[in-house]
Amino acid sequence: MSNSGGMHSPVEQFEIKPLIELSLGGYDISFTNSSLFMLLAMGVSAIFLFSAMRRAEMVPGRMQGMAEMMYEFVAEMVRTNVGNEGRPYFPFIFTLFVFLLFGNMIGLIPYSYTFTSQIIVTFAIAAFVFVGVTVIALFKHGLHFFSFFVPAGAPKVLIPFLIIIEVISYFVRPVSLSVRLFANMLAGHTMLKVFAGLAVMISGAGGLAMAGSLLPFLALIGLTGLEVLVAALQAYVFTILTCMYLNDALHLH
Amino acid sequence: MIMAKNLRNQINTIVLALLAFWSTQAFADGADEPGLPQLDIATWPSQLFWLVVLFGAGYLIMAKVVTPSIGAVLEERRIKLDGDLEKARRASSDAAKIRADYENDLEKARTEAAKFAKQAAIEASREADNAEAKVRQKLADKVTKAEGNLAKAKSNAMGNLNDVAVEAAIEAIAALTGIKTTSAQASKAITSIATKLNKQEAN
Repeated sequence: MSNSGGMHSPVEQFEIKPLIELSLGGYDISFTNSSLFMLLAMGVSAIFLFSAMRRAEMVPGRMQGMAEMMYEFVAEMVRTNVGNEGRPYFPFIFTLFVFLLFGNMIGLIPYSYTFTSQIIVTFAIAAFVFVGVTVIALFKHGLHFFSFFVPAGAPKVLIPFLIIIEVISYFVRPVSLSVRLFANMLAGHTMLKVFAGLAVMISGAGGLAMAGSLLPFLALIGLTGLEVLVAALQAYVFTILTCMYLNDALHLH
Repeated sequence: MIMAKNLRNQINTIVLALLAFWSTQAFADGADEPGLPQLDIATWPSQLFWLVVLFGAGYLIMAKVVTPSIGAVLEERRIKLDGDLEKARRASSDAAKIRADYENDLEKARTEAAKFAKQAAIEASREADNAEAKVRQKLADKVTKAEGNLAKAKSNAMGNLNDVAVEAAIEAIAALTGIKTTSAQASKAITSIATKLNKQEAN
């Protein structure tokens, strides 16, 4: 993109660049920058958790304390939102949280890549959660599952409309779940890029005008802090909504 | 047709349309601008493939290695803490029991001591009473005996006095009148005089 003053397009950072060209059955499955940071998120979290627990002690050290805190955080989330029936799904929820958290956080490091800013990635996860949760509900409750779409205690006249609304809101779940994370990452990183680009552009003017670059630079610092919060918060929101959907599937309201 | 092909994967048409609109609005400085890289469907198979592979591998690591090891440590700690708490609770209840027992014993000992003290006091006072009574009896006996002795001595003395008086009377009569009186007569007379004197004395 040839914007003024050599400013890069703020969305250029989301471009997928193949690192190792691969293909399978006619599909391009190249190992890309996105895949690399997926691998990093999973690898760093796994190595961190694994090494923290390698010499597990009764009285935890700093690393072990952090690993345990993360575990307890997710376990508490599952316990309060799903209850005891959520136990078998805890490893998945934990993996999901860790994957998103590390993905979002590593993505904030300059020159890195944020795979959670890819709608296809967030949507695939959300769709998996949606399908999985629906399958669990059907297995557990059979046809009784469809009573989920009939709100209890509603006037008979309203029931058809309410069923339509409930069905729509149910099927919108994967969309809202995936778009929330994707849009937050997209908007946050775009904004960071815009302010960074602005700072660079203004400083390029030279002379006294350079001082003007201080403003976007300070804004950038503030925004970076905000983005750290958003990164953690969105990982949490995605996970807790997954817990709630799972709870709906297991308990039907 | 091309549009239809692009949107064949219409999972969330509305969102994609909105995003496409936004991206063209924001960066529409060229007809050949591709818009958001995220919407380039050509990159999706690779992303899906690596997501499945890496998330799957990550899930296996978390499910088989990480969460069990953290869970085991937490469980172990919970058991240990529960055990220690239980031990502490038991020790505390033991201590309370020992204390109660001790206080019970103390109370019992106190009442027993009070009982003993009372009994001892009663016994002592009884003994003192006994001793006093005995002493009093002894003293009374002594007094009686002394009184008896006194009376005896008095009557002896009286008897002797009578004899002396009789002899003196006989002598006096003989000397004065030359009449010999028998001691029986004299004695009779003296006794009657003595009786009379005694009567006067008593009056």
